[in-house]
Parts: sequence; structure tokens; C-alpha cells
Amino acid sequence: MAAASSSDSDSGRAESNEASSKWLDAHYDPMANIHTFSSCLALADLHGDGEYKLVVGDLGPGGQHPRLKVLKGPTVLTESPLPALPAAAATFLMEQHEPRTPALALASGPCVYVYKNLRPYFKFSLPQLPPNPLEQELWNQAKEDWIDPLTLKEMLEGIREKAEVPLSVQSLRFLQLELSEMEAFVSQHKSKSIKRQTVITTMTTLKKNLADEDAVSCLVLGTENKELLVLDPEAFTILAKMSLPSVPVFLEVSGQFDVEFRLAAACRNGNVYILRRDSKHPKYCIELSAQPVGLVRVLKVLVVGSTQESLHGFTHKGKKLWTVQMPAAILTMNLLEQRSRGLQAVMAGLANGEVRIYHDKALLNVIRTPDAVTSLCFGRYGREDNTLIMTTRGGGLIIKILKRTAVFVEAGGVAGPPPAQAMKLSVPRKTRLYVDQTLREREAGTAMHRTFQTDLYLLRLRAARAYVQALESSLNPVSVTAREPLKLHAVVQGLGPTFKLTLHLQNTSTARPILGLLVCFLYNEVLYALPRAFFKVPLLVPGLSYPLETFVESLSDKGISDIIKVLVLREGQSAPLLSAHINMPMSEGLAAA
Amino acid sequence: MQPTGSGFANSGVESGDLMRRIPQTGLRARIPGRTEINAKWRKDRAVFPAASGHFGQRDPEFLQQRPRQRRGGGQGCRGGRALPVYSLTGPISFKPSRSTTRPLTGFLRILPGEAFRPAISFSSPLRPLPTSPVPRLPFAWSSGKPPTSGREAVGGAKMAEEPLVKRTPVPASAESQKPRLKKAQEFPILEKQNWLIHLHYIRKDYEACKAVIKEQLQETQGLCEYAIYVQALIFRLEGNIQESLELFQTCAVLSPQCADNLKQVARSLFLLGKHKAAIEVYNEAAKLNQKDWEICHNVGVCYIYLKQFSKAQDQLHNALHLNRHDLTYIMLGKIHLLEGDLDKAIEIYKKAVEFSPENTELLTTLGLLYLQLGIYQKAFEHLGNALTYDPTNYKAILAAGSMMQTHGDFDVALTKYRVVACAVPESPPLWNNIGMCFFGKKKYVAAISCLKRANYLAPFDWKILYNLGLVHLTMQQYASAFHFLSAAINLQPKMGELYMLLAVALTNLEDPENAKRAYAEAARLDKCKPLVNLNYAVLLYKQGEKEGALAQYQEMERSVRLLRDSGSLEFDSEMVEMAQKLGAALQVGEALVWTKPVKDAKSKHRTTSTSKAAGVQQPLGSNQALGQAMSSAAAHRKLPSGAGGTSQLTKPPSLPLEPEPTAEAHPAEASAQIREKQE
Repeated sequence: MAAASSSDSDSGRAESNEASSKWLDAHYDPMANIHTFSSCLALADLHGDGEYKLVVGDLGPGGQHPRLKVLKGPTVLTESPLPALPAAAATFLMEQHEPRTPALALASGPCVYVYKNLRPYFKFSLPQLPPNPLEQELWNQAKEDWIDPLTLKEMLEGIREKAEVPLSVQSLRFLQLELSEMEAFVSQHKSKSIKRQTVITTMTTLKKNLADEDAVSCLVLGTENKELLVLDPEAFTILAKMSLPSVPVFLEVSGQFDVEFRLAAACRNGNVYILRRDSKHPKYCIELSAQPVGLVRVLKVLVVGSTQESLHGFTHKGKKLWTVQMPAAILTMNLLEQRSRGLQAVMAGLANGEVRIYHDKALLNVIRTPDAVTSLCFGRYGREDNTLIMTTRGGGLIIKILKRTAVFVEAGGVAGPPPAQAMKLSVPRKTRLYVDQTLREREAGTAMHRTFQTDLYLLRLRAARAYVQALESSLNPVSVTAREPLKLHAVVQGLGPTFKLTLHLQNTSTARPILGLLVCFLYNEVLYALPRAFFKVPLLVPGLSYPLETFVESLSDKGISDIIKVLVLREGQSAPLLSAHINMPMSEGLAAA
Repeated sequence: MQPTGSGFANSGVESGDLMRRIPQTGLRARIPGRTEINAKWRKDRAVFPAASGHFGQRDPEFLQQRPRQRRGGGQGCRGGRALPVYSLTGPISFKPSRSTTRPLTGFLRILPGEAFRPAISFSSPLRPLPTSPVPRLPFAWSSGKPPTSGREAVGGAKMAEEPLVKRTPVPASAESQKPRLKKAQEFPILEKQNWLIHLHYIRKDYEACKAVIKEQLQETQGLCEYAIYVQALIFRLEGNIQESLELFQTCAVLSPQCADNLKQVARSLFLLGKHKAAIEVYNEAAKLNQKDWEICHNVGVCYIYLKQFSKAQDQLHNALHLNRHDLTYIMLGKIHLLEGDLDKAIEIYKKAVEFSPENTELLTTLGLLYLQLGIYQKAFEHLGNALTYDPTNYKAILAAGSMMQTHGDFDVALTKYRVVACAVPESPPLWNNIGMCFFGKKKYVAAISCLKRANYLAPFDWKILYNLGLVHLTMQQYASAFHFLSAAINLQPKMGELYMLLAVALTNLEDPENAKRAYAEAARLDKCKPLVNLNYAVLLYKQGEKEGALAQYQEMERSVRLLRDSGSLEFDSEMVEMAQKLGAALQVGEALVWTKPVKDAKSKHRTTSTSKAAGVQQPLGSNQALGQAMSSAAAHRKLPSGAGGTSQLTKPPSLPLEPEPTAEAHPAEASAQIREKQE
């Protein structure tokens, strides 16, 4: 509640309503059918004609038909199917030659596909991982038929328990097999060499040796086997390899590879690791205690979005600077850089259909979108410098252009009381009558009190009397005498004129059965007729509830109902043990007829 | 006469202070958490629909919380709320049952096939493996554009080649195809879509996530460890802890060297309430990964639930040593609170606030702890900080508001309460406080309205009933006051003050017999309340029972001495005046008992107050003014009698004497009351 109200207040101030909005709505296509992540969006002048295109690594609906789409303005320029789902897309300059058209790299599975001029140019595959030597040895032996499948299985299991290097898929699959299938599997696969392949999880670019806008960049890959690789932009050789304690999910790089760089990697274990040029292992570690959902570097601050609906700012050494709570879960994040004004800010797409723009802690702007935004990208598109591209959960595409006059100001700061403070308290009003009663009480308080006390005593007295009377005449449905602890309740079923009356009689003693009980019905014979108004009860075993059924015929056709009294008696005793008054329902059958 | 006169003149400062103090002694320790818990329960019920799957999982946590709070009993403060622990991966939920502990070694023996297959059953049959794991490239290589360099040629050749190799030729017959197909079979990369699963997972898009997991598991025949791992996480988020535990155990079988799997197994065990088993698995995981704060932290939390606080502390300190987290501080502070060691808890929270100065929860808790210790300046400081970062923080606003009320800033407090009233409109403590604000502002009808609303929201809260009784006494609605007070006594039979107020009401309802009995009960329950004895003495005196009055008077003197000896207590000037009058009437003539201690106390008070926070005594003005206004109203009737002299005292003081002490009690009790309440 509190969060919601505060969000309303914030957005109230930073809200971009139609007139004063900082954005021009350039394009909105809810049916664009683009399903992707921010990491698979890239803007680049692919043809070197000054017209920036949007590259989308599209996963397709349900991740079924991955495609590479290139958009120019609102239209799709080219579209080609991809072999596997794209994990990341990046554009980078490969070499110094003119014309300086950037290459497009698309990471997918274990490969990076590099395109130039939108034509396939090079495919880089991750090197095979070294297999476990013991495992290799075992399979070699199996190949020579030196060991039987069972031994092989046992040995492989031993390796799996202990070894540092995990087993190959082949061995894992083998371990899963039933005894009967093993033979065939071994004979089929024994000749193959053991392979271990990993896949790319994330990719980004890092300037090689110049900080310029259009300098040559290296590709930085994060892989599933917890490594970071830096590729040479021309030769596609691995320039550097760094290892992480967990699998990288998001990467953020600053600096130049040949000079000095810092690499921040948000990982699956919820930590962000920061590496530097000379370190093969993480230098600093930020523990988030939640999963990171985005990592953006704004100048010197690392902004991390976490699954706990908050944005955190950290220094490059991992010191926490600030935290901002979001009104909803963060879906994606990206950097907004307005070069003309030297502004860098973070955009965060939220699950409630907002895109919020923050400069450090300060909220700059809120964009409301018709659907939750799942990927964001800001930059030069077409010939317009400041374009925001968003794709939505339903596959829509939204393009907005930042007005050239727009200036982001920190919306009134964080200070100021929440708006709820200005609302009036809803104090319940008191009526004139209440006031009169108050006055009366003041005047005659003592008398009122005495009357009340007298009445209270009378009430108590009456209640006590009635109780005693009930006890004396056994009018209660529970008998607590030592000899016959009994419980009775009655149910009437039916609409009439014939009702079924069921008495449930239970012996509540722990051990002793009860014998020799009688049930008697007392009723107005003008109104009702019962087949037997008096019968014997069978022996009552302790604990069981005995249903005793009888039919009641309503004789009156005037819709009158009466009470039927049930008495439970002991043989030879005139005072009843129990009694119950049954309020018979009106006979609806007759009344209706 | 001179010394006494001067005593009154200066005692103005203290009178207000005393008013606050009177009720504090008995109340402070007990009151905090209770109402808050109720309120919280109410709130939680309102907010989380029980049926919805996502929130449903939180319920067990609260189920567990309640007994814990009860256990805490006396030291219920700690914000009235057990702080939930969040793991890296998902919200926690406790299950109260901790009966069956499964043998731990069991799961490690499960064969992968057995372990996995029962856990997830796929409706559709396994898909045939793709014949070519590296499918055709998206583009046709243009033969007219050969790669320029040799290196590219290699790459290009590879790319072009593969589709050719993998494409199986159209078979002539089924038999001939089979062996060839098998030969060509390649195993898919197990981790191929892990990144996608993870991205869906962190976006909380669980449906998409499950779809990918299912696909991935089909393709890898259940060997993809990460897919199972995330599936288990999702199960846990959905509240299916047992299922998640089984899947995590499968993961642990698939890669026994991975500490993360063991951690998750332990976490699920923890959520199932099997704390001992969880600790064992955590220790197992710690062997694989020594330096993990999370393991230390969680083991510590497990020990808390096992009530082994010293071990828990060790583990939590270890965790802090490895890496500092707010959560660890909170748990550590909680241990100290459970042990009743406020000072240590404050130390921990201080460090925590130093470490993360913007965490409003830490700030609020620290503020409340200071409040509990009576260090108002610091309490206000921290609560204020909390409100700076989160101006809608319910707990902080209520606590800060109550402090303002204590100091008589009723308008400011009311403004602050508006925020809460908007956010949590059904909070009984809030409406109680608002009511007492109006009471302070002498808007009695509004006060009664608000208190009645509070009473409607929390009908079994005796503090609200107490306040209602107080307000009705002030309104001279003694019959109503009687009902509220007797209701309060039914709920809280151990409070002397309640009986005293009841006695006052009864006296005014002209029922001196019952009033005496109520006074006797009050005096029995509260040994050191001079006010009770004084009121009792006055009543007895009026009834003409001089001996009884004298006995009570002496009792009062005794407790006054006791109080004076025990600490720097100041006495209300009204009470002192009344006592002196009564003393004179009873011809005890022991004015000395009062005059001296008052002076002493005052000088003491002065010295302490100057050194203490200015906030404590500075804004007393309005409260004091209120007290004066009320007592002047009483005095208005009293004057002739007081001036008359001893002989005439017999009759006249009888009536006016009664309401007066209560009138004093009101603001004092009320304000203190409120303060306790919202913590």
C-alpha cells in the first residue's frame, strides 16, 4: 500500500502527460511480433550510409522461430531465420579500414556469427573443453573391449562423485541407461571421441586500444562454464581468458583492452564480480542476496537491478552507494545516453507497464506503456539521435523520440511530504442524539448505572433460574448424570407434508453401555401424526451415534407448525433423562397445494 | 508555608514530567509488540488473499511467527515482527511441522534415473533427437564472394561444410537408414538454453520458464541440471517445498561437487522446518565451499530456530566476517532481543545502520529500541531518518507520532498520522493514537469517535478500552466509563491502575462500597503507587473512616519514600498539594515528607535534564498546560474548601477531591499509553 501510494506520488511529479511529455510517439505496433531481450537489441549504421538500423535477435513467439531482423524506421528491412536462439547481439568495428561499417555479432549456442554488410562473414566457435582424462581412458578401454559396460558404469560413477572436471554428455547419458541398453550404447558410441562443449550466455564489446566513439572493439563473451573470453576483433583468437565463480548473465565493460579495463559480470549466484585487466580472477565481489535482473554502468556507478524490486548503485570497488525501491518487478534495464546534454541515466522496464528513468537515485521520467516492456534500447536510430526503442511482452514494438528541447530535471527531488499527508482524516461524526445522550448521562449517570446494575442482576437471576429449572426437568439435550451420560440431537428433513425426523442419540460415557431407554414423542395430535410415538431404544454402545428415524405426517393444511417434544426416559422412571423441543418446519407441500 | 509555595512554583516543570512517568513504570515493558501483532495479522490477511498461489506461500511463515512472538512474551518489542529471511533465490516460507526428519544420506544414493523420473512426468513422448545439432545456417553462402583471407576461408569452409555433412541422404529403405542415423547421433549440449531459463526466471516469467525447462529436459532426457534446479526453485516459490526438495536432491546427484545444490537442498529442508537436517546439509556444503556467508548465515538462522543462540551467534558473526549483509545484522539483533539483551541488540543495529544507512527497517527497529530504553533523542533521530528515506513507513510514523504526542505536539502528530491513515486505514493503534491526540487537544467527542473505531477494529485490546474509560471519566460520563473500564479489567486483570480508575468511576456513581473494594485491589496489585493510596485515603476520609484513611496515607508516604530512594522520581504538584491537604486534615502534619523530596527531586531533575536531551523536557509546555487546565477546572470547585482550613475540610473536599487525581492521570496515562502501544 505504502509503496503504491509513494509510486503514485513520484510518478505524479515525473509523469509525462501528453502536453508536457518529453517524448514524441514515433511508432507503435502492438503486432510487431518481436520477442527479445535488451541484450539482443543493437543500433548501428550497418551500411555506412548514416542511416542507423535496429538489429533484433528475435527469439520468436515461444522461442520457436528465432530470427534475425533488421529494421529501418518502422519497417523490417531484412529477416532471416537463425539456427538457434540468439543470446546476445552486438555491433562493433572490426578494423580501421574505410568505409567504417560496423560488423554485427550474434551469439547463439556455442558460436558467434559475425555479419558484415548484413552478409555472413565469419563464424567463431568456442573451443572444445578438455575432457576428463580418466573418462577418456575408460572409454578407450571400452573401445578395446577391455572392460564390460557394468565396470565402465561403476568407474564413471566414481569419477562423477569426485572429479573436478565434469563428465561428458555421452557418459552422463550412459549412466542413465538400464542394464539391457548399455551394451548397445557402448558399441554404438565407443568409437567416438569424448566432447565437452559449452555455450555463450552473454556478450558485450570492449574498445581495443582507443577510447573513441568509432574505435575498434573486441568481443567479450561469457560462457556457461564460468569463463569470460576476450576475442581479437580481426583474427578472432582468444586474447584473454578469465574465470568466474559462477555463470555470467550480464556484462558491463569500461576502458580499453590494451590499456586498462574493468569488467563487471552479474552472475547466476546473485553476485556481481568486478575484474580488471591484470586479474584472471574477480577482484571485487558484490553480494546482492537476490538475483540481478540488469547491470548498467552510468559513468562511475554500477547500477544493478535486483529481483527484490530495487535498483542498487555500487562503486567500481563494490561499495554500496544507494538503493531505490521500484513499484514493481524490474524486467529489463539499459543505459540512456543523451550525448548532446551529457546525460547518462538508467532505464528500467517494470512489470506494471512503466519505464522509469533514473539518474542515480533521482527519478527523471516515467513512461507508461500499454504493455510491460521487456527490452529497451536507446540511441541513434535512422537519422534521429535520441530514440528509445522498446519491445513489449506481447511482442509489440514502441519507438519514441526524445524531443530536442527536452531537458531531464530531477523531478522536485526526493524531499517533500507524501501527498497522503494533505488528506483529511475521516473522523467519524457524532450525531446530535449522541450529544444529547451524553448530556443525559452526565446528569443522571448514577441512576443509569444503578438501573443497569439492577437489571443485570435480574437478568442473571433469571438466567440462573431458567438453568436450574432446565436441569431439574431434564430439558437439556445433554444428560450428564453419572449413570446415563447421553447426548441427543434431532434433524428434520423434507418439505412436507411428510417429514423425516432423525434423532441422534449418543452414549458419551467412556466404557459403559446403556440399556433400557425409551423414547417418547409429545405432540399435538391435531397437527401431526407419528407411526409410533413411543418406542424402545436398543443398547447404546459408548461413543457411537445412533440414528433413530421416524416419519412425521403433517395433518394441518393451514400452514401451521408446532413443536414436537422428544423425551428420553429410563424404564421405570417418570422423570425424563433428556428432552428436546423440535421446531417443526411449515409444511410447504400443503401450503403450495 | 514558604518552602512549599516555592516548591509548587517550580514544580511546574516536573508536573508534566510526572504525568508521563506515572503510567510508564508498569506499562512500558509489556505493551509494545502486542497490538502491533494483531494489527499486522489483520493487515496481512487483508493484503494477501489466502487463495492466491503466490502469496499463499507466505502464510506458513506467519503461522510460524505467531508462536514465536508469544514465546518472546515479555520482551515483545523488536518491532513486533519477525523479520523474514530471503535467500538468494526465493522467498522463505516456514512450515510449522518439524516432525519427520528424513535420513539425510538417503538422497545422495538415489540413482539419477530413479530420482528424476518420478519428479517430472512429461505428457508428451520424448522428441526424436535432431539429426543435425548444428542446423543449416541462416544464410546461403554466396559462392561468388569467397572469403578474403585464409583464416576466413577456414571458417567459411566449416560453416558451409557442416550442413552437407549432417544432412542425411534420403534413404532407400528404413533398414538402411537406422544404423546410419544412429551413427550420426550427436548429443545435444546440455546447457544450451540455461541462459534463457535464467533470464525468464529472473524476470519472474515462470510460465515461459517452465516451458523452456520442459523442452530442455525432454531434449536432454532429464540430464540438464540447471533446468531441474530452476524448476525446483519455481516449485519452491509456488509453495511445493517437498517437490522442490526432491528436485534439488536430484541436482545434487547430477553434480555432487556443487555446493549450490546442497545449499538449496538445505534451504528446502529449512523451509520444511527440519532445521537439524538443514544444518547437516549446510555443513556438507560448507566443506565444498568454505567461504560462503550465505551458508554461515543460514546455519545461524537454523540455530535460532533450534534455540541454540550461542551457536547461532557464532555462525552469524562468521557470516558478517565473510561478507556484511543487512539480513545477518537483523538476525543477530533478533537473537539478542530474544535473549532480552537490549544493549547488545542496539550495538548490533548501530553497526548495521552504519553499514547500510538507508535501510528503513534497520533505522526503525533501532529507533524503537532506543524508545524502549527511554533514550528519546536518539530514538527520534533514527525514526526521523527512517522517515526521510521512506516517508510512508507505518511503524516509524506511529512511533515518531507517539513521541510527538508525548511532547504535546498533537497537531504535528496528527499530520503524520494522516499518511498512515491513508496507507493502513484499519490499524487499531493508529486510531487509538489519533483519538488520544484529539483528547490532548480537548476535542473529546472526536477522541471518543476515534477510540471507538479503534475499539471496533480491535475489540480485545484493553489499552484502547482503558483510554476510552479515561476519556469518559473526563467527560463525566461515569456510567460509560465504568463499562469500558470493567471490560478492560476483564481482558487485563493485573493492572492496578485500571482498578483505580474503576474506583474513581464507582465513587462518582455513588457506590463507595465497591469503590473501596476496587481501591483495595488496586493497592494490592500496585505496591508502589502513591496515587492509588492517596485516592483511597481521600475516599476513606470522606466516608469518615479516619483510621483507614490514615493507614492509606501512611502507606502512601511509605511508597513515596521508596520511590524517592529508588530513583529520581518527581511527584506531581497536584498530588503533593492534595496529599498535604489530606495530611493536614488527618492531622498528620507531615509536610516534610513532601517538601524535601520534591526539592531534591527537582534539583536532580534539573541536572539530569540539562545533560539529557533537550527534547525530553522542552516541549512539555502544552502537555503541562493541559494538565494545568484540567486541574484548574477541578480546583475551581475545590478552592473554598482548601482555603478554609483543617476543621472545615471534613465535608467539602469530599466531592472535588475525587475527580482531580484522575484528571491528572489522564494526560499522563494517555500519552504514555499511546507511546507504548504502537511499538
